[in-house]
Amino acid sequence: MPDLARFPILTIALRDAREALRDRFVLIATLALAAAALVSVLSGAAALHGDATTYAAARDQLLALGRSASDIAAPELWPLKLLRGTIEQIEIMGAVIALIAGYRAAAAERGRQTLALILTRPVPRWKVLAAKLIGGVGLSAGALAVVFAVSATLLHLLSGVGLTLNDLGRLALVWVMATLYLSCLYTVGFALSLWLRRPAAGLIYAFAFWLLLVLVAPQIGDTMDPDNQVSGGVFAALSIPRVEQDRIKAGFAGYEFFRNGIEVASITKHLERFSFAVLGIKDTYTGRPISEIWAERRGDVLFLFLFTLGLSAIVLLRPIDPDRLTQEI
Amino acid sequence: MTGARIICTQSLATLVRERTVLLVIALFSLMVLVSAWLGWSATHTVNTIYSDAAAYLTSVGEPVPPNPVSLGSPLAVLRNVTVYVGLIGTFAAIVIGQRLIEGDRRAGVLPLIGARPLSRASFARGKIAALCLSTTAMMITAATVSALTLAVLPGAHVTGAEWGRLAAFFLLAWGYMTLFGLVALGAAARISTMAGGLLAATVLWLAVTFVLPAITGNVNPTAAINPISGLAVAPDTPLFTQLGFWLGPISLSEHFNYLSAGLMGYRPDALAPRGLVAPLACLVAGFIAAGGFAVVSCLTLDPNAGGPDA
Repeated sequence: MPDLARFPILTIALRDAREALRDRFVLIATLALAAAALVSVLSGAAALHGDATTYAAARDQLLALGRSASDIAAPELWPLKLLRGTIEQIEIMGAVIALIAGYRAAAAERGRQTLALILTRPVPRWKVLAAKLIGGVGLSAGALAVVFAVSATLLHLLSGVGLTLNDLGRLALVWVMATLYLSCLYTVGFALSLWLRRPAAGLIYAFAFWLLLVLVAPQIGDTMDPDNQVSGGVFAALSIPRVEQDRIKAGFAGYEFFRNGIEVASITKHLERFSFAVLGIKDTYTGRPISEIWAERRGDVLFLFLFTLGLSAIVLLRPIDPDRLTQEI
Repeated sequence: MTGARIICTQSLATLVRERTVLLVIALFSLMVLVSAWLGWSATHTVNTIYSDAAAYLTSVGEPVPPNPVSLGSPLAVLRNVTVYVGLIGTFAAIVIGQRLIEGDRRAGVLPLIGARPLSRASFARGKIAALCLSTTAMMITAATVSALTLAVLPGAHVTGAEWGRLAAFFLLAWGYMTLFGLVALGAAARISTMAGGLLAATVLWLAVTFVLPAITGNVNPTAAINPISGLAVAPDTPLFTQLGFWLGPISLSEHFNYLSAGLMGYRPDALAPRGLVAPLACLVAGFIAAGGFAVVSCLTLDPNAGGPDA
């Protein structure tokens, strides 16, 4: 065990890691997220299998009629596309788990009075907080590593074509970004539960933050997209050719700028856009080399990084009031 | 004043002093207002696109299809309210349900109530009445804002039958929100650890909203935030047919979205409900089960468990 006075960050982070390994919540939360991700992969694979069966039947029918099979489009198989649901589960369920983990980290210290005790030792307060945040990063990285490992194994088995090294590299990149995202949410849950008089109130405020940033901001942006107002898309319903669609859309540049601005105010949207591009879930990025995608989407990486860094800086710089640390009603 | 009434009055008086609860309710009311603007803005944009598209189609001699927005009910302009009820309204109800028990527990009031000549049944009735009155007040606010929006929107001609359907939607929304509030109230009564009830009810709500639709219909989680995208037809495979049959009845968020879209007039004709049981029957059964859970939990509540220092 390292000495607290000499290596405070390492000592506290290691203690947190040991606690996390003993904590059933961490295990249950990781399993829940992995189960939600697996459900998404399996249901996506089942839907794709259904498409393939329908295509095979239609193709056989065409061939029996003496026509060419090229008359109908074959369903595409890009294994990583099946991770769409997994990414969305991380965005929503993962975010909630990270908030709760942050809340528990603060509430446990306050409830047991251990934080107040540590603060009586000759340890700078920012180092204590930094250790707690590093613990959150480790927790997020570990849980997500399990989720991605299980998803990748399942993809490998389900797709039948196997994952290449390039695919695994893309998964690793998304894992890093998702870890950053969950660390940010962990920090929010930890900070609010630490600062407010009642940790439970901190959790409710953290949930309100989650609702606004993870669900409402993207919801507003999504709803303002005119193509989402009509089932199947407004342009498809009007049978307008692509060129004409672009001309009409050009007349809504200001509206689109405003709509996009609301969407990108959400950290979730940045994770989604980056992940969907890297994994080829968004059709315009499917099959494109990673270097091109990185050049195009590095703004999302920068936003996620700076947002998390800024939030962490606020937590580290804000003084802790020892009088408010005890668990109160 | 009866025991249940005293509990209800005391609970409501405590709730209105809770800043956290007020914040969540204010957030819900604000988002209902935003949804009215969103509905108007999105409809206006589609109308403008339609005008441009109609001009183009006329110039090339193509037939002009009817405006897809004008085909539906004018109530469809309020479709985002269904999303905010499903997300923020239910969360507000969960917070209220949890605070109704947790607030008393942390304040050390529960042992005092237990020491008074008050039956557990009166306690349960009082707490459930306080929850129902709170969610009713939220729904009346949302309904008033929505009705005013429809009344002032240019071009929205709402018939008497449509006003009736709007009222039916808010009744449905009240039931859906209160269902989760009852779960939170029951969970808080059973779990004495801090925020335990809040977490249990939130986990259930997350599973119902974001996980079950993926299992029963391959609906991705973010579809829950769009009133149109969530109304997806399940893939036509034996697996999804079986999953819909077995899990469809408990996929309450899908039933709520299905019925809401029908009442507000934007449900696609080809969309079938998940499973074979009628959506309304599933929601009513869910409401009764949640109410039963809340009643039993209040009846068996240990007033000495937990407490200010737990």
